[in-house]
Amino acid sequence: MNAKKKILIVDDEQDVLAYFAAVFQDSGYDTILAGDGFEGYELAKSEKPDLITLDITMPEQSGLKTYYQFKKHPALKKIPVIIITATDESYKNFLNELNGFSTPEVFLSKPIDPEELLKVVADILFDNNI
Amino acid sequence: MAKKTNKASSKSDLEKYINKRLFDTIPLGIAVIDPDYNLVYANETFEQLFGSWGNRKCYHVYKNREGMCSYCESAMTLKDGLPRANEEAGYDKNGLHIHYLQHTAPIVDDDGNFPYVIHIFTNITEATQIRDEHEVLFDQVPCNILLIDRNFRIVKANKRLTDWLGDLEGAYCFESLKGLKHKCTECTARQTFADGRIHTGYHVWKSPAGKTLHLHVITIPLKRADGSFDLVMEMAVDVTQTLNLQDGLKFAHSFLETVISTSMDGIFAVNEKGKVTIFNPAARKFFNIKDNQVISREELAGILPQGFLTQVSGGPGHVYLPETEVKTIDGETFPVRLVGNKLKRSDDSLLGMAFSVQDLREIKQLEKEKLEAERLAAVGHTVAGLSHGVKNLITALEGGMYMLNSGLSKGNIERIQKGLEMLMRNIERISLFVKTFLSFSKGREIRAKICDPAAIAKEVVELYEVKADELGIVLTNEKIGDVPPAPIDYESMHECLTNLVGNAIDACQVSNGGSCYVAVRTFEKNGIITYEVSDNGCGMDYEVKKKVFTTFFTTKGLGGSGLGLLMTKKIVQEHGGKIELESKPGQGTTFRIKFPRSRLPKVIEKEA
Repeated sequence: MNAKKKILIVDDEQDVLAYFAAVFQDSGYDTILAGDGFEGYELAKSEKPDLITLDITMPEQSGLKTYYQFKKHPALKKIPVIIITATDESYKNFLNELNGFSTPEVFLSKPIDPEELLKVVADILFDNNI
Repeated sequence: MAKKTNKASSKSDLEKYINKRLFDTIPLGIAVIDPDYNLVYANETFEQLFGSWGNRKCYHVYKNREGMCSYCESAMTLKDGLPRANEEAGYDKNGLHIHYLQHTAPIVDDDGNFPYVIHIFTNITEATQIRDEHEVLFDQVPCNILLIDRNFRIVKANKRLTDWLGDLEGAYCFESLKGLKHKCTECTARQTFADGRIHTGYHVWKSPAGKTLHLHVITIPLKRADGSFDLVMEMAVDVTQTLNLQDGLKFAHSFLETVISTSMDGIFAVNEKGKVTIFNPAARKFFNIKDNQVISREELAGILPQGFLTQVSGGPGHVYLPETEVKTIDGETFPVRLVGNKLKRSDDSLLGMAFSVQDLREIKQLEKEKLEAERLAAVGHTVAGLSHGVKNLITALEGGMYMLNSGLSKGNIERIQKGLEMLMRNIERISLFVKTFLSFSKGREIRAKICDPAAIAKEVVELYEVKADELGIVLTNEKIGDVPPAPIDYESMHECLTNLVGNAIDACQVSNGGSCYVAVRTFEKNGIITYEVSDNGCGMDYEVKKKVFTTFFTTKGLGGSGLGLLMTKKIVQEHGGKIELESKPGQGTTFRIKFPRSRLPKVIEKEA
């Protein structure tokens, strides 16, 4: 098959980064870790990941702003983004209200079921690409 | 003739008297005119009345005329020899108008001719005047007068009455005044006819137009010299208006009485001597005074704020204390709103004082409960905000479990260790988290000091200047008008404004538009200090207004998770203020925090 898929994990929680990295690695993905929005944006540009998981509530630069940057960047806007956050559905509605933001590809709420996360990632990376 | 000297002499004296003295002293003016109307003879009484008469014509003397009167009874008598009598008007010797009765009689000579006419005058000027005055009085007195005969027919009615009801002469009084077919059952005139005394009563008359009049009636017998009488004079005074006024007064009185006795506010009053004349049930309840217990001025002064009575009686008339304390009769203090009014006569002299008092105990309690409810609501919001933090913690704990489990199944010691570290670290964080939450829910006492409200805004704006500049946001600070120093907890208010300005800058960052601004304004209007923070950032819809800023927009890590605006709200409430929010998606947001001066906290004494 193809080369290993690369996933960029953006989260300010080191433990969450470690957790998701372990989950993805155990399923055979490569992982890149970013501890905040700036780092996430820079790594996305340089590493060109196949998929990004993005936390929203982060210091320095919020996930919202980061998401906005991804979607404005010509090379990055096609990369699917999974927003993983502890917020609820109303936040998704909020995003829909804002001009220029498309609905995130997937919106997952913490706490995360690792099986579900892996299924969503697989769906996006393999099934939907056909 | 000589034989009868004595008799004759006395008789001749009498004749002489009659011929000479009587003619002059009789209280009737007598004059004689010839056929050419020349006065040829007159007595002293005439002279006293009309003055000199020699060589003058009668019409000149009596009437001050140059020619003959158009109607002349003397001319007629000269022709037919018949005596006549007439009431005449003329002028006396002083030129004053007089009324007199004039008898005209012919003097017959032996041939049966009438060479002279004699005029006899009775001066009735005074009687005429009195009669005229009575007529005016009868017609114009401000009451209705009528004369009634024994058949209850109206013999005469005064002008006031006929102007109103038309000609009444000959009509039955009960018919024309009351529209009845039969005599009234109660009749003051009948009583007077029966006993010859004066009677009074109330009558109700109806005009042909249907108007009802209420009258106070007096009936008086018109007695002859011998005491007999056949006429009764009825005088009726219109008291409709008085009755209406009385009704109005009665209504006003009972209205006031009802209002006072059922008012939820305490109402009491003192008269000019300081005696307590009104003390309504509500006031008795507030002050714990029994229903029939009399309150002295001293007691009143004792339950009111010190010097209040003097303040009202000595002041311009109105004293309003929006919040003060009074005492019950047993000395227990409670908060009230108190109003004192001076009651003045039209000449400004003191008539008494009236007071109204509103018990603020319940309102105070409600205010307290409302604040508590709001605090609890804030705690509720906080819990919602916390769930976000808790979810993050759970994720981290699950991560630890995953590492531990997968490490165990793979025999990967490093992973097991990592998992254990994650578990322990996050358990630690949970306890820290709980502590933060507890400290928020308890809150800290605010410590107000007198400070310049605009200075706080200025400092906060300065704090964000560099960041705003970097992000290309125009950040402005403006103080509009005068905002005098006020008791404020400087640090808390600083935190409030930091949150609001920070949020506004965040909103600008996610805005779609080009140039962004955040404007901070400080101003005071009607005793309300207001901070306004507006931006033209992303804006929010209603749902988001309620949730986003309370649960997501924190950039301060786990400890401050979602608490920024909650803290702001709490601080605002603790300063007796409120927070207002206007926002439209895509257009921007304005936060306004308002502090009525009267509700600001009390200044904490400076620590030594």
